Amino acid sequence: MTSTKTDVVAEGLGAAKAPRLSVVGFLMALPPLLLVLFFVGLPVLIAFTFSLGFTTGPNRVLSMIGQEIHKKDQWWGTFSAYKDVIHDPRFAGDMRTTLAITFISTTLVLLMALGIGIYQRMIGGRLASVMTALTLVPLFVPVVIAAWAIHTFYAGDGFMRSFFSQFGIEFPTVTSTVSAIAIGTIWTSLPFAILMVTSGLQSIPDALIETAQDAGAGFIRIIRTVLIPLAITPIVIAGTFTAIGILGSFTIPLFLGPNQPTMLGVEISNFFGAYNRPQQSIVMAFIVFASASGIALIYIWANVRSAKQSGRI
Amino acid sequence: MAKREKSRAKSSSPVVKALLGIFMLAMAFFILGPLLWLAIHAFVTNWTYPNLYPDGWTWHWWTQIFANSALEESIRNSLIISPIVVVLSMIICLPAAYAAGRMNYVGRKTFLIGLFAANSFPKIGLFASIATLYYALNLMGTIVGVIIIQLLGTIIYMTWIPAAAFASVPRNLEEAARDAGASKFRVFRTITLRMAMPGILVAIVMSFLASFDEAQGTYLVGAPAIYTMPTEMYALVENYPIQIAAVFSLLLAFPSVLLIGLARKHIVGGQLAEGFQIK
Repeated sequence: MTSTKTDVVAEGLGAAKAPRLSVVGFLMALPPLLLVLFFVGLPVLIAFTFSLGFTTGPNRVLSMIGQEIHKKDQWWGTFSAYKDVIHDPRFAGDMRTTLAITFISTTLVLLMALGIGIYQRMIGGRLASVMTALTLVPLFVPVVIAAWAIHTFYAGDGFMRSFFSQFGIEFPTVTSTVSAIAIGTIWTSLPFAILMVTSGLQSIPDALIETAQDAGAGFIRIIRTVLIPLAITPIVIAGTFTAIGILGSFTIPLFLGPNQPTMLGVEISNFFGAYNRPQQSIVMAFIVFASASGIALIYIWANVRSAKQSGRI
Repeated sequence: MAKREKSRAKSSSPVVKALLGIFMLAMAFFILGPLLWLAIHAFVTNWTYPNLYPDGWTWHWWTQIFANSALEESIRNSLIISPIVVVLSMIICLPAAYAAGRMNYVGRKTFLIGLFAANSFPKIGLFASIATLYYALNLMGTIVGVIIIQLLGTIIYMTWIPAAAFASVPRNLEEAARDAGASKFRVFRTITLRMAMPGILVAIVMSFLASFDEAQGTYLVGAPAIYTMPTEMYALVENYPIQIAAVFSLLLAFPSVLLIGLARKHIVGGQLAEGFQIK
C-alpha cells in the first residue's frame, strides 16, 4: 500500500494506471482470446493454407468437393488460386465496385456525421437533439429488414417511382444498381459514425471555442482549426470502423445490388456455394481481409496518437 | 455564457434555419421513408403501382404468420438462442473486460486490438472457412453451432465497452473505500460494478442485437435444421408476398426498439463511443 502511494506521488496520474497484470488477471482475459483463437484464428489459418494449395488434412473434404482446386507444387504452396482470382474479369469489376462503394459511402457518412455533430455542438437546441435521435433509428433496425425496406422503397413499384409518377416524372429504379448498395451502406453505417463524431465534438471544452471567437475567428475557421483537429481521433475511428464494416458487407449488396458487378462479400458466398469454387472464394476473403487490415492500421495509428497526446504512453 | 448565447443567435439567421430545415427533412425522408413504406405493407391487401394509396386494409397477413408453424418456430428459436448467447458472452467476456480495464495501456491495447483484428476478417469469409472445423466437430446444423457463431459476433461489444467502463472507474474511490474498511468484494460490488453498469448495459443491448440480427453465419451453420428470424427472412423474401415479409420485419424489429429504448440514454450518452476508443 505504501509503495503504491509513493508511486502515485512520484509519477502522478500515470502511475495510478500502473500495470497490475497478475496471473489471475491474465487468466481472466484468457477465455475470449481462446474462443477467438479457436473459432476464428484456427479456421482462418487452415483456410489460408487451403488458399495456398494445401489440400490434405483438414482441407481434404473441401478439395474433393470443390472444382478448380489448385494443389501446391512448391514446399510452401502455390499462388495459382490467387492468380486465378486476379485474372478473373469478374473479380476486377467486383473489386473496383467494393473499393468505390467503401470510399464513397464512408466519405458521405463522415460528412453527414460531421455536419450533424457540428450543428449540435455549435448551435444546439431541440432541433439538433431531434435530428441526432432520428439518425440513430437505423441502430434499431436489423440489417435484413433495412436492406429489404430500402429494396422495396426504391424498387420498380416502390414509393419513389409511385410518388414521382404522380407528376409525370419517370424516377429511375434504383434497386439492383450499385447506387442502391451505396444508399444501403450509408443508411446502416450512419448511427455509429454519428455517435462517435458527436461524442468527440461534445467533449471539446466551451472555453476553447469561446476563446477562438473572442480572437475573432469565424464559424468556418473555428470548425477548421478548433473542432476538427481536436476531435480527429474519434473522427478517424468512426471512418475506419465504417470502412471496414462496409468492405465486408454481405446482406446489403445481396438484397440491393445488381448481379454483376457486386461487392466481394456476395461474391465470396457465390464462389463458395453456387459456383463450388471454394479455393477462389477463400482467396477473395483474404484480399478483403488485407484491405481491411490496411484500414485497421489507420485506426491503430489514431489511437496511439491520442494516447501519446494525453501522455498515456 | 452570455457571449456564447450571442454567437448562437448570430448563426441562426433565417437562411441558415431554412437550410437546416430542408437538410433535416431530407434526412428524415432518407432514414424513415423506407421503414414506413415497408411497415404500411404489413396492413394492406394489395398495392397497385403507381397509386399512392393501397387498394385496401387488412389484418390478414398477421394471422397468416401465426398460422405458419415454420415462422412460429423461427420466432421461438430466436427468443431462446439470443438470451443464451448474451449470458454466455457475459460469462466469457466480462471478467476479461475487467482484467483489460485494469491492465496497463500496452497490455490493454494488445488485448483489444487482437480481438478487433479477428473481428475485421470478413464475416462471410470466416463462415466459409469455419465449415471445415464445424464438420470435424459435428457442430453443423446444431443449436450449439449456431450459439458459437453468434457468440463470436458479440465478443467485440462485450469486451470493448465494459473494458472502457471498468477503466474509467476512479481508482482512488476504490482505495478510499478499502481504507474505510470495506471488503474487496464489497468495493467491487458497490463501487466498481455500479459505476461500470451503464457500460455493461450498453454492451448487453448491443450483444443481444448482434446475436438476434445475425443472419449469414446462422444460415450457413443452422439451415436447413435451425432457422432463426433473420434467416427465415431470407426465405420469406423469396417465397412469400411482400406483406408477409413486412409483418415479419415489424416483429423482428420489436425487441430491438424495446431494448435500445431502454438503454438509449447511455448509448447516446457516450458509453458506446467511449468503448470504441482505447484509453
